Amino acid sequence: MKYDLHRHLDGELGTDALDPAARGEAEQWDRMVASFHREAPRGDAPVWLEQRVMAEIATLPERGPVRRALDWLTRPASVRLSPLAGALATAALVLAIVWMPNADETPIAPEADPVVYVQFVLEAPSATSVAVAGDFSDWEPAFALQDPDGDGVWSARVPVQPGVHAYMFLVNETSWQTDPNAGRYQDDGFGNRNAVLAVGASS
Amino acid sequence: MAPVERTDAQVVRDVLAGDRDAYRLLVRRYGDALHGHALRMSRNADEAADLVQRAFVQGFKRLHTCKDPDRVGAWLFRIAANLCKDHVRSRQRRRDVPLAPLADVVRGAADPEAEAQAAETRTRVWGALQALTPEQREAFVLKHVEGRSYEEIAAVMDLSVASLKMRVHRAREALKGLLQELA
Repeated sequence: MKYDLHRHLDGELGTDALDPAARGEAEQWDRMVASFHREAPRGDAPVWLEQRVMAEIATLPERGPVRRALDWLTRPASVRLSPLAGALATAALVLAIVWMPNADETPIAPEADPVVYVQFVLEAPSATSVAVAGDFSDWEPAFALQDPDGDGVWSARVPVQPGVHAYMFLVNETSWQTDPNAGRYQDDGFGNRNAVLAVGASS
Repeated sequence: MAPVERTDAQVVRDVLAGDRDAYRLLVRRYGDALHGHALRMSRNADEAADLVQRAFVQGFKRLHTCKDPDRVGAWLFRIAANLCKDHVRSRQRRRDVPLAPLADVVRGAADPEAEAQAAETRTRVWGALQALTPEQREAFVLKHVEGRSYEEIAAVMDLSVASLKMRVHRAREALKGLLQELA
C-alpha cells in the first residue's frame, strides 16, 4: 500500500490528492471501512453485569487497614497550589539553589544534544524510492535514501541521537522491509521484525 | 438539590478506603464502553460479557495500582483490551476461530442475488479481520470499526500517536494481504 493511501485513510489526505491508480484502491478501502463501521456488532453491557461483578467482588478478602495505609502512602498524588503559593515555592527553591555552597566553582557548559550520523544502506535494484523510518523519526518515512549512480544500492546519512533505535525501510512508498543487514532485530508484536540499531555517543 | 455525582477519582478513593460498594459506579459508567470493545474483538456476546466481568474484577483487585484515578476509565479499558487480546490469541492457538453469524446485519433483500454476494463479501472481510494478530486486530478495530481518532486511542491505550499509526498501517497491510489470499 502506498504511504499516501495510508495518509488518506488516516484522514490526512483527500482523494483528490491521490494519483489515479491509488484513487480506485482508496475508494475500495473507504467502502470497506464504512461497512466495518456500519456492521460492527453493537450492544450495551448485559444488565446482570453489575450484579455479577459486585457478587464476585464480595467474595474477595478485604484489604486490611495496614495495607490500605501503605497503599495511600505509596500512591502518587497530585498537589494543588494557588499561583501565589506556587510562585513562592519556586522562588524559595531558586534561592536555595543560588545560596547552596558549591565546592567546585568551575562553570559547566550546558551539553548540546549529541547527534550521530548513521549511514543507512539498502540494496534494492528494482526500487523507485526508498526511505527509512524509525522511532527516531516518529515512524514517519522522513529520510529518503538516494541511489545517484543507479546501481540499486540506496543510502543516506541520517542524524540519530545515541541510544537503541528500531527502524524499517519503506520501499516504493508501499512496502515495509526489514534491513537484511541489521545486526539485531526485535519483534514488533505484530508479526513483523524491526531492525535494531545501537548508536553510541560520538566523542 | 440534586445529589452531586462523585468524580472517578473520588470513587477510587472511596473504594480504596473500604467502600467497595462504590465500585458499582465504575461498572455503570464504563460497562458499556468495555463491553462494546470486547464484543467487536470477540464477535461473541457471551465471551464479551465474560471478558468484561473479568476485567472489572481484575480492576478491583489492582485498583491501588491505578496511577491516575481521574482516568480510571481508560485504565479499566486497557485491562479489558489486554484480556481481549489474550483471549483472541488463545482462541487462534486453538484454531477454533468461529465466524460469528452476521445476525446483527439485517436488511431487506431487494435483490437476493446481490444481497447473497454482499453477505459473502462481508463474511470474507470479517473473516480476514479475525485472522489478524490480536494486536493488529485491536489497532484496526479501535481505528476503523469503532471509528476513534488516533489521539483518543493513544490516550486510552497509553501509546504515542506515531507508534499507533504504525500499528494501524501494518494492520491494513496485513488485512490487504489476507483478503488477496482469500480472494
